[in-house]
Amino acid sequence: MPLLYFQILANGLVLGGLYACIASGFSLVWGVQNVINILHGSFIVLGAYLAYFAHLHAGIHPFLSILIAIPVFFAIGYGLQRMMINRIIAAPVLLTLTLTFGLDLMLQNGMIMAFTADFKKLVLDPPLGTIALGEVVLPVDRLAAMALALALTAMLYLILSRSRIGRAIVAVRMDREAAALMGVNVARIYAITFGLGVMMAGASGPLLAMIFPISPLGGPAYLGKAFVICVLGGLGSVPGAMIGGLVLGVVESFGALWFGPEHAVTLSFSLLILMLLFRPHGLLGRKGYE
Amino acid sequence: MAEPLLRISGLDAGYGDVQVLWGVSLEVPRAEISCLVGSNGAGKTTLMRALSGLIEARSGSIVLDGKPLAGASPEAVLGAGIAHVPEGRRLFAAMSVRDNLLMGAYLRRDGKAAIGSDLEKAFAMFPILRQRSMQDAGTLSGGEQQMCAIARGLMGRPRLLLIDELSLGLAPLVVDELCERLRALNREGLTILVVEQDVAIALELASTAFVMDTGRVTRSGASAAFADDPAIREAYLGTI
Repeated sequence: MPLLYFQILANGLVLGGLYACIASGFSLVWGVQNVINILHGSFIVLGAYLAYFAHLHAGIHPFLSILIAIPVFFAIGYGLQRMMINRIIAAPVLLTLTLTFGLDLMLQNGMIMAFTADFKKLVLDPPLGTIALGEVVLPVDRLAAMALALALTAMLYLILSRSRIGRAIVAVRMDREAAALMGVNVARIYAITFGLGVMMAGASGPLLAMIFPISPLGGPAYLGKAFVICVLGGLGSVPGAMIGGLVLGVVESFGALWFGPEHAVTLSFSLLILMLLFRPHGLLGRKGYE
Repeated sequence: MAEPLLRISGLDAGYGDVQVLWGVSLEVPRAEISCLVGSNGAGKTTLMRALSGLIEARSGSIVLDGKPLAGASPEAVLGAGIAHVPEGRRLFAAMSVRDNLLMGAYLRRDGKAAIGSDLEKAFAMFPILRQRSMQDAGTLSGGEQQMCAIARGLMGRPRLLLIDELSLGLAPLVVDELCERLRALNREGLTILVVEQDVAIALELASTAFVMDTGRVTRSGASAAFADDPAIREAYLGTI
């Protein structure tokens, strides 16, 4: 019996690594500019399609599609913020939410038109096989996807904590006006932040494509997970998204074991409500970051 | 008299429908410490915000050493050489002291070595900041925060340093120390404009003083003359 628990724990951590990657960009955008980007989930799906078609038509391995996704999705995010979101950034949060919600509907329907509503599955041939750690068996593709997801998340963390631009992003988040006095061009930093957020969504798409089937309407499910993770880990911090993602992955895996996989979503949203009741700052919530 | 470093003339500015500054004119002499005094709501902070581009001038001109700055962005103003230490310090609370100082050097393109040597200078000027360099700025005492805010302003290598409310909420000993540092900076040639609610401190620190009232500069001149002026003494110093 304990062996089963180790297996479930390992599965949960693998899933959690992917969740962390999904949530970190969403959390960054929300935390820095108070924009709830409803598009985030659909950008993940778009990234998954990119990997699917690159693999189907050009034989590009999904891990390599990440390298294509990074600049492409950064540019999409940067442009979107510059051309549309910056125009209403000073308005109440409902307005940006409505804008990204509307854009999300357009993107979802655009993807249905372009790719049909059929589920697609990226199948690697030959498959990567499995790896055994003692008695715990893990598929290599999932393990590698988790490692890459954590690497992407770590990259975002390093950008934010070590680079000049990253410092400016954090400064804008803490005090927009004081940051402007330091010579920071706030509109540009917003565009870079949104670009990074969309980049994280697009780059996690290829990783998820290796594990889950791709549907043009799959975005909202990913978005829901990102929400829960932000609340679990605390808004706007990459370590928070990391912890929140891993916790959610493990909780979902054990929940599937104990209550049945059909209750995974119920469980994660119950967790959300409990967190909001008892620890609204999140597990790693930090004063001064709110 | 030498050409002033900063010349403001006929400046109007405000927030939304509310106009706060009405035709403000003043000249900040080069390489001196000047002070701006006046009661609460006189428009001192608004003038600082208009100077640094946080709010837009509606009319009038701001000229730094021949360069017009009215309507410029905060980025352009700092680039031209005016750094603004805002009221309430406005440090990045959950960022380390060192990162706060580096934010002050955000616009500089003269390389890590030059910025690093200025960081050393800042630590030499305020040794407590070196001890606290890895601590979050939000954990500093009020005096240390003001030191950090001033050092952050200096990291931009300004020609003119604006300090809004130097002494507010600080112990007298700390204020003395800050004034001493500002005098030392001034001796090296830095021009400083201090907004100060404590008129006694302001007149002692500065050589030139401006008095603001209801959005206008009502008097200006040498501080020494103000300190001896019965009307000023009665209105601001509490002694006749």
